Amino acid sequence: METTKDRLTIQTPEQVGFEYVLAGLGSRTAAFLVDTVIRWFFVFAIVVIVALSLRFLPALNLSGWVADLSKTWLIALAVLAYSLVDLGYFLFFEALWSGQTPGKRRQGLRVIRMNGQPIGWVESSIRNILRAVDLLAGFYPVGIVVVFLSHNNQRIGDYAAGTVVIVERKQSVPGDRKQFLAPRVLTHPEIEWYVSRLKPAQYQVLRSFLERRDQMEQGHRHELARLLSHQVFKKMSKSTRINISYESFIEEIIALYEKRRRAI
Amino acid sequence: MENDTPLGTEKKFIVRLVGLKPGASRETLVQALQRLFKGKTAEEIGKALERLPLVLSRSVTEDKARQIKLFLEAQGAILKITYSASAIIAPPKERPRPEIAPAKQMPQAGESAPAGVERRAKPRVHTGIQVKPMGVGEILDRSFRLLRHYFWLFFIIIFIPQAVFFVVNLGLQFFVSGGIRQDVSGSMLAGFGISGVLAFILFLVVQFWAQGALIHAVSETYLGHSTSIKASYGAMRNRLGRLIGTMILWSILVFGIPALFAIGAAVAVPSLAMMGLGGLFTGIIVVVVVILAIWIFTTLFLNWILADKVVVLEEIGWMKALRRSKELMKGRTEPGFWKSIKTKASLIILVGIIIGIGIHFLFQLPGVLLGIVFPAGILITTIQGILNSASASLATVYAAIAMILFYYDIRVRKEGFDLKMMAEKL
Repeated sequence: METTKDRLTIQTPEQVGFEYVLAGLGSRTAAFLVDTVIRWFFVFAIVVIVALSLRFLPALNLSGWVADLSKTWLIALAVLAYSLVDLGYFLFFEALWSGQTPGKRRQGLRVIRMNGQPIGWVESSIRNILRAVDLLAGFYPVGIVVVFLSHNNQRIGDYAAGTVVIVERKQSVPGDRKQFLAPRVLTHPEIEWYVSRLKPAQYQVLRSFLERRDQMEQGHRHELARLLSHQVFKKMSKSTRINISYESFIEEIIALYEKRRRAI
Repeated sequence: MENDTPLGTEKKFIVRLVGLKPGASRETLVQALQRLFKGKTAEEIGKALERLPLVLSRSVTEDKARQIKLFLEAQGAILKITYSASAIIAPPKERPRPEIAPAKQMPQAGESAPAGVERRAKPRVHTGIQVKPMGVGEILDRSFRLLRHYFWLFFIIIFIPQAVFFVVNLGLQFFVSGGIRQDVSGSMLAGFGISGVLAFILFLVVQFWAQGALIHAVSETYLGHSTSIKASYGAMRNRLGRLIGTMILWSILVFGIPALFAIGAAVAVPSLAMMGLGGLFTGIIVVVVVILAIWIFTTLFLNWILADKVVVLEEIGWMKALRRSKELMKGRTEPGFWKSIKTKASLIILVGIIIGIGIHFLFQLPGVLLGIVFPAGILITTIQGILNSASASLATVYAAIAMILFYYDIRVRKEGFDLKMMAEKL
């Protein structure tokens, strides 16, 4: 059976293991797409600046070295600027942003060293100079095959620099994780008994429903709320007459469970 | 076992096969089941395994149930044995229904569950598999992992139509170029033409069959079950006609409607020019029509992009499949432009295309180099053809897997089928 995630475990001398989720080909390509759009924007800016300079510089009657700038020199400078953007974009961003580019940041990816430490100028330079080999004609044909065959999803540049690309852990609390207030009067006396026996996995199912219900279609949302409530009624196995909606009933259970957990 | 019953009593048990253990081989289990059900063929058992849970016996003694459990669990089966309220002794009692009277959430007038909530095939998910909402990055990475893990399964499924096309094409080329006969008459050429058309139809049928088989194989492996090339193609046998019909309808509508606009513009522009409305006015009309045609194409393409998955996994076809695909693709499940369903689908397709181009490039390059270095001949043509077929298969398989996972992700988000499954075990 396929594993849900590719992982890299780094063992410290104290026998403490740090586990990282490795980024796959898809998310890396998506990040590369974002970076490509940004690089094109830079390249477009260079082209516009050069075109404007060629058009208006002679008319300004400038003196000194600026006046000596010929058309050829301007084009040479533009080519140099393009090369800097093409190679330097990844190199500078990864070295200065601890292994991230705007695209990687957008996708939640980061380049780290194989020992878990952040990458520096040397690693960034090696992996990005060798990008030319992986990239070959712009569509990463070599990179795709090497990543496919690699145990840690590394391309040639990663192997040479001793780096891996990982998925960053999301630190933020989900925005919709709101607190539900336990009611003063319970709609059903058996609820407290049920909540006292509720296992964490069961709580998680009910909680997940409340967190995700806004994404669901109305019909499926009602159906699921009904199904979950019926399962709870079945467990309580007594009179199950309630005068609130199924969703409010589930909210009540969650509120009581969380209140009990806080008290413990 | 859920109930302990003393031996020798008349208490009976129901034995159900509810799933396969991670990594279990379906073939081994089929063989094991054949030993239990001697009258059944492997094909019949294989078919029955596609519709789990499967009741193996409704009334066995505890001893027998234990034996079956030990035997089949060793072959990788997951069994559920429940106590049967002895049908021999007394008729089953009807379970008392709980009195449930929710005040606010009774179905309102005019508010009904979306069409086919009950009708839809319920996906069977392996207990060891985690199905949850995923972001675009997670879908793409999961697709990559699936492809890597089941590479040969997916590759061969998608390579078969390419191989058929290649062999037929090579045969025709060989024949026409005089490899067999030099004196090709007019009637023979007509024969080649008809053969070519028949070969194309054959290729289309095999291509759709492979498309369906891939959807089945990816779905099975994603949900934690094992499958094979034969089982995947076999599962498509009774859905093939529906899939071909739906996909032809899909192609006619997606490509035909924008094409009608283009034809309309092609007819209108000369007419307008003859009426003296040339220049800027005609230019504006052309631009508007082109933009409109692109917009219509994109909208229809994205609305109906899940139609093939719907045909295979939900067993509905034709316009119903297109409507169901549109229903899944409409609306948004998360706030923000980048997280809208259609944007996600576009991004997945774009990434798939880029990876596909990369793979195509890598596989085409040796063929091109061979063509430059060596003189053209049957061997070089054959090698180039094999490389072309392989690159065409590899280039499409990744995006296809990602779109199947995307289909499941929408169902997880909009229909909460993972929660429905977990709810049943609550």
